[in-house]
Amino acid sequence: MKYPWKKLLPRYLILVVFMLVVLVPIWGMFTSAFKTSTEVMEGPFSLPSDWSLENFEQAWRVGRFNVFFKNSVIVATAVVISSVFLSTLSGYAFGALPLPGKNWLYPLMLIGYMVPFEAVIIPLYNLMDTIGITDTLWALILPQVGLSVSFGTMWMSSFFENTPRELTDAATIDGCSRWQTLWYILWPIAKPAVTTLVVLIFMWTWNEFLLALVLVQNEALRTLPVGLAFFQGKYTANIPLMAAGAIIVALPTILIYILFQRFFIRGMLGGAVKG
Amino acid sequence: MANVTNKYPGESRWKGWWYLLPALLVYLLFTFLPILETIRSSFYQWDGFSQNKTWIGIANYVELFSDPKFHNALGNNLIFVIFYSIIPIMIGLFLASLLSRRPIPGFAFFRTALFLPQVISMVVVGVIWRWMFNPTFGPINTFLRQIGLDVFAISWLGDFTWALPAVGGIGTWVQYGFCMVLFLAGMQHIQDEYYEAASLDGANAFRQFIHITVPGLRSEIAVALVTTIIAALRVFDLVYTTTRGGPGESTMVTGFLIYRAAFTNNRIGYAAAIATVLTLIILIISLFIRRFQQQGIEESA
Amino acid sequence: MKKRSIFLSISLALMILLSACAKPASPTDQAPVAGTDEQVLLVWDQFYRDEESKVIETLNAEFEAAHPGVRIQREVKVLADLQTTVKLALANADGPDVAQVNQGRNDMGALVEAGLLLPLNSYLEKYDWGTVFSTSVASRNSFTEDGKTFGTGNLYGVSPTAEVVGVFYNKDLFKKNGWDIPTTFEGFETLLAEIRAADITPISFGSLDGWNAIHEFSAIQHLLVSLDYINNLTYGVNNVSFDIPENRQAAQILQDWTNAGYFSDGFPGIGYDDSNNLFKAGNGAMTITGSWLAPELMVDTDQEFGFFLLPPYEGKTGMAIGGVGIPFAIRKTSEKHDIAAEYLNWMISPRAAELWAEAGMLPAMALPEGSNIDTKNLFGDTLNAWNTINQGNAVGHYIDWATPTFYDILVAELQKLLGGISTPANFTEAVEADYGAYLQSKSE
Repeated sequence: MKYPWKKLLPRYLILVVFMLVVLVPIWGMFTSAFKTSTEVMEGPFSLPSDWSLENFEQAWRVGRFNVFFKNSVIVATAVVISSVFLSTLSGYAFGALPLPGKNWLYPLMLIGYMVPFEAVIIPLYNLMDTIGITDTLWALILPQVGLSVSFGTMWMSSFFENTPRELTDAATIDGCSRWQTLWYILWPIAKPAVTTLVVLIFMWTWNEFLLALVLVQNEALRTLPVGLAFFQGKYTANIPLMAAGAIIVALPTILIYILFQRFFIRGMLGGAVKG
Repeated sequence: MANVTNKYPGESRWKGWWYLLPALLVYLLFTFLPILETIRSSFYQWDGFSQNKTWIGIANYVELFSDPKFHNALGNNLIFVIFYSIIPIMIGLFLASLLSRRPIPGFAFFRTALFLPQVISMVVVGVIWRWMFNPTFGPINTFLRQIGLDVFAISWLGDFTWALPAVGGIGTWVQYGFCMVLFLAGMQHIQDEYYEAASLDGANAFRQFIHITVPGLRSEIAVALVTTIIAALRVFDLVYTTTRGGPGESTMVTGFLIYRAAFTNNRIGYAAAIATVLTLIILIISLFIRRFQQQGIEESA
Repeated sequence: MKKRSIFLSISLALMILLSACAKPASPTDQAPVAGTDEQVLLVWDQFYRDEESKVIETLNAEFEAAHPGVRIQREVKVLADLQTTVKLALANADGPDVAQVNQGRNDMGALVEAGLLLPLNSYLEKYDWGTVFSTSVASRNSFTEDGKTFGTGNLYGVSPTAEVVGVFYNKDLFKKNGWDIPTTFEGFETLLAEIRAADITPISFGSLDGWNAIHEFSAIQHLLVSLDYINNLTYGVNNVSFDIPENRQAAQILQDWTNAGYFSDGFPGIGYDDSNNLFKAGNGAMTITGSWLAPELMVDTDQEFGFFLLPPYEGKTGMAIGGVGIPFAIRKTSEKHDIAAEYLNWMISPRAAELWAEAGMLPAMALPEGSNIDTKNLFGDTLNAWNTINQGNAVGHYIDWATPTFYDILVAELQKLLGGISTPANFTEAVEADYGAYLQSKSE
């Protein structure tokens, strides 16, 4: 196929301009992470003379990003696994099982999916204090599981609603229990829906800021975004170090986005409104 | 949710509850009860750490509605709606219409790149843009000086006129790729026949856009509106990392006001009142837009 | 079979939750080693800058060595971060045993009122702290038991460092251009004009973070008002007003300096640390801030810096913002009061004074006899300035302690003033509205 290049050129120009607007700041921050302080002053878009990882090493050790990274991984993994598991069960209940009270339960769950974190943060702090888990990572994990199952239940229930009834009926006739039907029949075909849920919840948890800022006070328990915000307070003028920190925070979500792009976009287009 | 019963013969009608229960408990304990607790706190005066918690009725709300700081913050949130929602949706429609009707080499790359800001932590976005806007060594002013536009090389985040549009512009930057990708997906469902018929009727590209593309994207536009308006109303991370509400109160938003009232001014009750009002506004707007979206689906059916 | 599936589902959910979370508890490492009765003292401080941090690390290590069985778990925070988190943390049963708590109503006042800080009066006697610091210093860390009146009552904290706000200047630039340290405020303003004429930034400054604008304003204010006025304003006694000609004049001077281009280009968009780094790199002839910056300016730079007090008006006596740094306080509900007090005493020991002085930071305590501290440098300049105002009874206050919301209102209104969108009269009126309302609420 031959492209009508002349007609396409104006479109390309416009697209390239809007794409550069997105990419240039990210690229500028990326290259800064490899520069020395003096090189940064020479100009934002000059290339570093030597692609040294020294700034990353410093952020990793001195900035304690190694600790924050570990915390972020623990929190995100725990939240993703537990909320996907719980949401599968509850979504199954909504989408495929007899559920008296469904008509008021659904809106009840929906509320959690629309409220801003600001509306729950203060009582959450006091709750964590009461049950004695402030200054443990539990204080970050449990609330985020609670907030994620709200969206997860909606998401999984619409999947189970849309699976053909014949499939489950046939399974039942073959003597499968509901439990077996869920895990042996439905779970394998739920992979795309589950993958989407996994990447979305991972991204939300990884990037979450307000809860992590307030619910954990101990520096050794901070997650990456909070660590970076405080890092900015201390090293605001040290652009290379800041840039290295920023990249450590952003890289995992960017990588997962590039690997699972299809699922990401599908999930976020599915009306995934969440704070 | 249709009226089909999912019950099999001989099965307990409460079966679903056993599967729902674990998720429901976690949800109630860590999300729903805290919401109720916030509403309750908004009727009290409390500093958050002492034992003196006094019932003061609706006094917090009375104060709130006459507090110029709250009016200012809410007004700024509304201005953010222009930057987070209106402008990105227009850019998104424009870009999507450029990409959709004829295949273009490199399509996937453009889509991946434009969507990128959506997946980056807002703290990182704030760090990037605080650097971009730095008046002395930031790229924007460096560039302006290089091309001889020194007069425009102002201190963006510290300027009373420009700080709000500058922070808002970051929101535009984050959102327009998302809107574009959303609309591109929607456009695949608009049948080519409509465009062909319109072309035969002599409708130009712009008229086709207004009369076919935009109505066809009704539900995608609704999703974009809900997502971006809510983002504009709840903005916190970005203000925290760029201006902290300054200069003066020119970039103060409700989210930051809640944080400040609760954690620096020790006024938990007042912060809870702001949070309750903000939540109500968000719920009303999203329900309103959902209603509008469903109407659209019914009409077109 | 059915029942078992439910049981399985719940136990599996729990297992996943538990196994996923088995690790989170470990990063704190707070559990004492079995079999030993090691005490862990949790301490929050805000000495985050490198040079300060080293002093604390050294003192902590020496404390541990001198007190076998005690381990210090240190938590470092930036001041703004400390202020937002320390109140909730001190109300918590696992909170820090010792924490730096900012003076002022919003912080120390609110905590005293809530009964969360330990009164230190008995330790004051036990350790004879009366010989370490004067009563005027002690009053800066004192509140009445109800937390309402600042400046009298119980002692709630001890400060290891002293602070004085003045002018840092770039000695090399001064020497090269033949500028001298001015002795009067009039001379200072002439100097500003001269520096500007030489196309050098006279005062390196950035108001993006807000708080340091209070120091710029208040440093000038201190030259115009009396010490009694500043005391009354800060302690909230004797019904003074903020809307007075002197404050308006100080605001006017600040705005005039802005219009004359005496501050860094684009200062509203520059953060505090950014502006200091620019100054350290040789941009700008002077900067007005507190002596706490001295340690940073003495290392990693090829420039040489000096320090002087903002000079008084011709024929008047000077005064400067100053006082003792943020004090260490003890959580009332802590079970380790005695060892915590021992730690406080350690932080204001002669050894601490020596270490702070070596780092270039003003200690609140007298330097031990015969200590070999070099004072022919920037540290010596700040020490002289501190001694001058101390001996001349000219130690002012941080005015942002005056009301619970004074800090927010001052920052917002000063940014407006500096941005040229309000007048000096608007400024003093707006601030007085906050101050007057506070005085009224206090008297009710």
